[in-house]
Amino acid sequence: MSEYTPFEMIAYTGSRVLEDEKIVFVGTGLPIIAAMHAQLTHAPNLYMIYEAGSLAPILEMGMPLSVGDTRAARKSCFLKGLCAAFELTQRGYADYAFIGGAQIDMYGNVCSTIEGNNYSRPQVRFPGSGGAGAMAANCEKTIIIMALEKRRFVKKVDFLTSIGFGDGSPDYREKAGVMGSGPYRVITNQALFGFDEETRRMKLLEVRPGLEPTDIQELVDFELIIPPDVKEMAEPTKEDLRLLREVIDPEGYFLKRVVKQ
Amino acid sequence: MLGSVSSKIKNVSNLQYEEKKFEFWGPTPDEARKIMINKSHALKDKRTTLKEAVAKFIKDGINLGIGGFVNTRVPVAIIHEIIRHGVRDLTLSLHSNSICPELLAGAMILDPDRVSIKRVELAWWGYEIIGIAPLLRYLTTNGMIELDDYTNYGMSARFKAAAMGIPFIPVRDHGGSDMELVNRGMMIQCPFTGKNVYLLPACHPDVGIVHVTAADMYGNARIFGAHCTCPEIAIASTYTVMTTEKIIPTENIRSYPNLTEIPYPAVDALIEQPYGAYPGACYGFYWFDMDHLGMFRSICEDFRKTGNKDALKKYYDEYIFGCETFDDFLEKVGYKTLKKVKELDGGQPIII
Repeated sequence: MSEYTPFEMIAYTGSRVLEDEKIVFVGTGLPIIAAMHAQLTHAPNLYMIYEAGSLAPILEMGMPLSVGDTRAARKSCFLKGLCAAFELTQRGYADYAFIGGAQIDMYGNVCSTIEGNNYSRPQVRFPGSGGAGAMAANCEKTIIIMALEKRRFVKKVDFLTSIGFGDGSPDYREKAGVMGSGPYRVITNQALFGFDEETRRMKLLEVRPGLEPTDIQELVDFELIIPPDVKEMAEPTKEDLRLLREVIDPEGYFLKRVVKQ
Repeated sequence: MLGSVSSKIKNVSNLQYEEKKFEFWGPTPDEARKIMINKSHALKDKRTTLKEAVAKFIKDGINLGIGGFVNTRVPVAIIHEIIRHGVRDLTLSLHSNSICPELLAGAMILDPDRVSIKRVELAWWGYEIIGIAPLLRYLTTNGMIELDDYTNYGMSARFKAAAMGIPFIPVRDHGGSDMELVNRGMMIQCPFTGKNVYLLPACHPDVGIVHVTAADMYGNARIFGAHCTCPEIAIASTYTVMTTEKIIPTENIRSYPNLTEIPYPAVDALIEQPYGAYPGACYGFYWFDMDHLGMFRSICEDFRKTGNKDALKKYYDEYIFGCETFDDFLEKVGYKTLKKVKELDGGQPIII
């Protein structure tokens, strides 16, 4: 097995989760990389939508570094603005959302607004919802990329930015007036999570080879559902790594970043 | 509140917040309509200078709507002139932006008597790949500005509602998130389906600022690349100041009227300013300059970490106060850099 970095594992896993003939709503960085990898491998008819306004671009100028980037608009089928992109999503044209955040709870609620719970004077202020809150509400399935750390997998988020299953009650999303079916996968470099249909709580699906479910539970501040049939995560092959390193992100803008401890 | 219902958002997170009393943070829909009716709607030559436009429209206490998206077609030239001119107690309205609000924030940190931001209604403020916005973090963690959070669609839909001349717009996001608790929208039961739906108030900036690909002298504008929410912001605002890469003949506009994204009555001042979004990008003309954005950002980050304003002051003295016009700034940036960002765009096909 080749050596790979945490970000490469996340991008590869993100790619595996995506299916062909779907539309994925992408943000800058790992989501774009995962979608590009899927297009180059098992999902040639997967298309991207970017919130600045482009649908199904051909990324022949290389990986976009910004959602509104010229590269993300290049040779798209349809190119308008934010209203158009999000209204297509509200209407049901976007199958997957890829979002990130600073904190997540057991129901897949994500925070990307503040750290520290005082809204008017937070300890840390993040950029804010951006598109994420709308994507989590109205793309059909939400895929969340997170770093697997106790301070991020928390019992309660400081600010609920992107809706998951809320308090876990069966009608939470309906009462919230949102349309998508909610959190679908949570991708980290050491584990892949899904959600239990019955309770809507986070459930461990796969762990990285060499790790046990108990290792993962130690990195999470709430109780995970751990089924008896947890699988091993697939690892990227030499060819997958070649695509990621040489074709998709040759400059290493995202994949060569060092994980902050 | 009449007709309001609740989702189940209470107590899902740790959030502590104070209820906001509802008010429009700019002109009300009725006020915005009145101003529009009382303007001349003639096809008039709107060409002017940035100095004249900013002096005429930028006043203390206004709501300033900022166009572009993060680093794309951001109205930097107008922001530079606003900082030189000075304006206090601003309300900013934006969906996503990077250097424009950061430049205003830096000016406020250096001299709050010249430039100050009171509050911001927004979805996102940062640099994407280049990093977080240090001055947003500084101002918020020190309790110096008030924020009102929406999603990118939320802010865009608010501009759209204003552009449509309606007081609110139903959307299918915000509900069940803490934005439902902190922002000025409201959950109601839909009178037709009986289901919960979130309403957002229209957002009419007093002044909207946008940078476009091309426009004729009356302000009929074309936008290539992502439109962002610039058409809606221009139409929603009571006054719109527009910079354009190029002024084109009206003949061109009238040959292909379908290509006009912003119609002339929405524009009050027009300035031809090549590279008017630099160091941001403008599709068909130039890509964003990661080096310059990164340089300004790291100066701001150093200030945030150390509290030392020297480097920040030096940047403003050199690039804003040390320049009479935006062309002077571009001269300091230099031909080689401008040539490089032009090449990086790759000459995208546009019709002007």
